[in-house]
Amino acid sequence: MLKLIQVLWPSFLVAGVAEIVFFTVVAPRELYLFGEPAHFSAIATYSIGFFAFWIVCAASSLTTLFFQRTSNEINQSDSI
Amino acid sequence: MSQPETQTPKAPEPQVKAGPEEDTLYAVRQKVYPRAVTGIFATWRWILVWATQLIFYGLCWLPWNGRQAVLLDVVERKFYIFNWVFWPQDVFFLAILLIISAYSLFFFTAVAGRLWCGYACPQTVYTEIFIWIEEKIEGNRAQRMKLDQAPLSARKVGIKAAKFGAWGLLSLWTGFTLVGYFTPIRELVQEAITFSFGPWELFWIFFYGGFTYLFAGLMREQVCKYMCPYARFQGVMFDPDTLVITYDPERGEPRGARKKGVDPKVISKGDCVDCGICVQVCPTGIDIRNGLQYECIGCAACIDACDQVMDKMNYPRGLIRYTTENAMKRHWGRKEIIGHLMRPRIMIYAAVLVAICAAFVWGLATRSTLRVDVIKDRSTLSREVEGGLIANVYNLQVMNMTESARRFTLSASGLEGVQITPNTPFEVDAASFRSVTVEVAVPPESGKPGSNTIYIEIKAVDDEKVRVREKTAFLLPR
Repeated sequence: MLKLIQVLWPSFLVAGVAEIVFFTVVAPRELYLFGEPAHFSAIATYSIGFFAFWIVCAASSLTTLFFQRTSNEINQSDSI
Repeated sequence: MSQPETQTPKAPEPQVKAGPEEDTLYAVRQKVYPRAVTGIFATWRWILVWATQLIFYGLCWLPWNGRQAVLLDVVERKFYIFNWVFWPQDVFFLAILLIISAYSLFFFTAVAGRLWCGYACPQTVYTEIFIWIEEKIEGNRAQRMKLDQAPLSARKVGIKAAKFGAWGLLSLWTGFTLVGYFTPIRELVQEAITFSFGPWELFWIFFYGGFTYLFAGLMREQVCKYMCPYARFQGVMFDPDTLVITYDPERGEPRGARKKGVDPKVISKGDCVDCGICVQVCPTGIDIRNGLQYECIGCAACIDACDQVMDKMNYPRGLIRYTTENAMKRHWGRKEIIGHLMRPRIMIYAAVLVAICAAFVWGLATRSTLRVDVIKDRSTLSREVEGGLIANVYNLQVMNMTESARRFTLSASGLEGVQITPNTPFEVDAASFRSVTVEVAVPPESGKPGSNTIYIEIKAVDDEKVRVREKTAFLLPR
């Protein structure tokens, strides 16, 4: 639980900031998905965008947690 | 935490567990049952609960100019706030607003510690409301503790269900209100009646409502202790002249029980009767008598509680009070404390704050309601038109930032004999943007071959003062 919160909470905060900054600059209808204009509604784009930011930030937090452990801890302990 | 140290009186072990146990902090928690408190600071907190929540729950219902007064229309990318319509280009104002918030936080923290946390933070405000509901349904502190210890019974399940239900309804209403700032709330009500919410609207109602429930109902002080970024660094903004909630150990110690009205000197004790009420009222479950701790959110519940006990004992109030580290050490009175309020740090914060606020107001007052970008058409640099004139084509992006449609006229200057078409007024809809193709023509001999500077001016028909003059280049063939 502790690890989960350590990953999800800071990434949530940063994703919120990233969302605001990104969508202030970029309008949803200017976005292209695989070369096609993204045809989601604006609300859907904002929402999906937020979760995408959250996932990316969470991946970073997770990597931080990973690198905090020494290779000995990773290779010898069976608990995360 | 680098908060100033206050003298720790003789010592029951501090409540913060240090060292290796830290890793399990999220799990290990003694549930806090805050005892209800009344008094001047509790009254202030309730005033702020009412003020902030009347605004939050109420403002989205206020009509204005035939629409919602405050509507953050993210779909159209326009924020309507009373008479203003903000566009993404106005992000500057948002940035200034954030800077003002940050400086206010610095200012208030330096003056009197965690005022924000204790009185105005949504976490405090919603926790206060949720505990009020809890108290109404489950009863006072002792009854709540008893209920939690009681074995499972129909009555217990009923009471708990009532509480969780009431919390749930309030949370959903909170989520609904939040979404109502992004989707017009009256439309949202229509959707609620037929239950035809958009999927994401429904999602965000439950998302925000769910977090309200989780934070204010279940996690409470843990949010402040572990999750709040401000709580982590607020200590650096304290200095020895910052007003903080302090137990006066010199006056209070040695603490101990005694009969009402006994003069403490006679029994060689301090003023603290060790009733423990200051601990019972604390929403974070700390003992303020152990000195200032980072868990203290500065809610002053212990001050209210202790003052009542002091009144009953016929002792002077203020055994726990707002005071400063220096005042405690040097036995300052109110006058010296207030005198030290005017220290350079506070003055600098205040000056910066006033300056930024003034800039913000000035910016808002002089904000142009018309914006124009002139883009030179790159496909044809210049061409000859009827009457031997040389013409250049431009694209004008005209933004009408007001809430009514407006007509504009164009004029050009900078070269002899310059003409512009269209030369009749054109209209731009309310709060919208229009792209206008413009042709500017001059006699060939009026400028030098190559690039010449011209000005295109756009004027509102109804208001002479609304005008924009843009500089651009006019190309004459070599």
